[in-house]
Amino acid sequence: MKLTKIAAAAAASALALTALAACGSSDGDKADGGSDTVTLWLAGKTDTPPKVEAWLVKEFAAQHKGKNLKVQHIDWGELIPRLNTALQSDKTPDVVEVGNTQAATFTSVGAFTDLTDKLDQLGNNIGPKSFVEAGTYDGKVSAVPYYWGSRYIFYSKKAFKDAGIKVPTTLEGFDQAATQLKSDGNSKFSGFWLPGQDWRNGISWIFANGGDIAKQEGGKWVATLSSPESVKGLTELQGLYEKATTAPKDGKDAEPWTAFNNGEAAMFMAPSWARWSVDKKRAADLGGFALPGVDGGAAPVFAGGSNLGISAKSKNQDLAFDLLKLIYSDEFQQQLAKNGLGPANDKFTGLMGDDEFAKAAVSAASNSKLTPASPEWASVESASIMEEFFGKIANGGDVAAAAKAVDAKLNAALNK
Amino acid sequence: MSSTRLTRKAGPYALLVPAILVLVVGMAYPLGRQLVLSFHEFGRAQQFGQPAPWVGLDNYRELVTDRTMWTVIARSLAFCLVNASITMVVGTLVAVLMKRVATAPRLILQISMLLAWAMPVIAAMTAWQWLFDTRYGLVNWTLQKLGFNSFDGHNWLIDPLSFFFVASVIIIWMSVPFVAFTAYAALTQVSEETLEASHLDGATAIQRFRHIVYPTIKPVLTIVMLLQIVWDLRVFAQINFLQNVGGTPSETHLLGTYIYTLGIGQNDYGSASAMAMFVLVLTLALTFRYVRSLLKEEPR
Repeated sequence: MKLTKIAAAAAASALALTALAACGSSDGDKADGGSDTVTLWLAGKTDTPPKVEAWLVKEFAAQHKGKNLKVQHIDWGELIPRLNTALQSDKTPDVVEVGNTQAATFTSVGAFTDLTDKLDQLGNNIGPKSFVEAGTYDGKVSAVPYYWGSRYIFYSKKAFKDAGIKVPTTLEGFDQAATQLKSDGNSKFSGFWLPGQDWRNGISWIFANGGDIAKQEGGKWVATLSSPESVKGLTELQGLYEKATTAPKDGKDAEPWTAFNNGEAAMFMAPSWARWSVDKKRAADLGGFALPGVDGGAAPVFAGGSNLGISAKSKNQDLAFDLLKLIYSDEFQQQLAKNGLGPANDKFTGLMGDDEFAKAAVSAASNSKLTPASPEWASVESASIMEEFFGKIANGGDVAAAAKAVDAKLNAALNK
Repeated sequence: MSSTRLTRKAGPYALLVPAILVLVVGMAYPLGRQLVLSFHEFGRAQQFGQPAPWVGLDNYRELVTDRTMWTVIARSLAFCLVNASITMVVGTLVAVLMKRVATAPRLILQISMLLAWAMPVIAAMTAWQWLFDTRYGLVNWTLQKLGFNSFDGHNWLIDPLSFFFVASVIIIWMSVPFVAFTAYAALTQVSEETLEASHLDGATAIQRFRHIVYPTIKPVLTIVMLLQIVWDLRVFAQINFLQNVGGTPSETHLLGTYIYTLGIGQNDYGSASAMAMFVLVLTLALTFRYVRSLLKEEPR
């Protein structure tokens, strides 16, 4: 029958189109295997400020006649899958940036060159320590700290003044301030912008109360989100979700400044670089302080930042190490610090400035923590286990029961 | 024996070579590799050069005994059947409508549907996400203006059922144009004379549709339904996008996103391959009847 044929042809071409669409996106980046070019993968488009990057490229070429440095930017969301495939191929990038909590995923399978013996060539005060630990597996250091940032509170000075609130000095004081600010505002107004699934900020309440995500016991990971300390922090956090914020209960940590820019939030918590995303018109109104701890001081926050590794498959091992040395040079470290990124060499931390933002950043970083250093942590992230758990707490779920359930999930995932 | 006869004999086969090559490279190889992978333990360590141990049916055993898989399969089947059916009904109705209305409205209808059909998935999804946004979404705003005050700040994605409602609206919106255009093309083939004759004989509109129009366009509808089932069963981009925006991924996984999380996300390529084999079998089982009826109608 004629119609069948028409339909079959239509179907076939539709299927062919789908197939074409499916394979159209994998053109990939061409990583030159030639030894004249060193390829560096940086995460995010402008996480490393373009000016700093340009200096690196220029300086590398100047120091190495006939060689040059090629920088490629990979979006954070694509980084893990891209590294999974690129690091094992012959066209591997030579040096790559990975998020500090993602480093173990690659160090544990030997994807990076062991740098333990060469470490002193990079400097004798590489840090922060937690970042070096994040890049260490089986006693071998194969991913070194790139830069660190810390999360702190951004707030509207005007909102604080109008409500007669001073910058809080304890965590309880912070909770009260956030609750009061919300009740002063209209139904859309948040005292503290806290999306339900934003666990990277919410985790501070667990840390501050002495809880943790998981600890290592006898070679095994034991999740501790249902420990009394963690539950105490989570209960406190649930109070904030209920009384201090109007952020979506399933919201994530993307663009937390939007509500602030719209005048719909008095405070939000974010890594230091969020400062540059706040509306310029509101710059005078913007203040910053480190999230206070239970008994004053700074509460432990989740440390943000990156590590660098040399691909074990790279054919330019020496040049790649030269690049690391250049990154660790005083000049480059100074530039990082001046741009608000925590430098690996703590000699230059002071260059981050001495305004309230720099102080908040340094103070918060003094007490920062990382996720469990299990090579399986990246799987926990891609399965959104933490997001879902915090979302449940935000949505008013039973804290103890939810914590017990997520501990079981984490134990299974971390001890694979 | 002239060489022309030989060429004539070999010619058609030579012409088939590129198509077969494409099929082998594009389909047979990945499928074979997937089958092999599904019998191995293949994780990140294997990706970085460790040998992959043969585990026999372990991956399958793990999946079959895991309730998650059956939940995902049941959810996907329900989602697929609901979406495919609604798409078919709406699409056919739109086609009938296009046949009835005057040229100007028909053109407007066709152009807007063509645009919906041609819109890149991610662009469309971004627009839909904005529409259903909790705080600034047009949907909430409109409902609120209409007097439904509980929709102030209503979260559309947090409840799994509501999540799938939004996903269905989007997917049906994206798939209706294809069904409508194909069904419309088929409708133009329905013989006017037969319709007129039956009209004179006193057949009602419904009778005419059931006994004349429907049998004529049935082969087309069958094959389109087949496509819809295949497409809706392996829907990925829309669900993945919505999961990244909000909701609870573990409660909203369909087959596509579940396999992706197992494989790319958690580096468990062995289990992911085993799961994909299940989907293949499932697709074949679901579409077997349609494929057979299509083959039957093919002239020998």
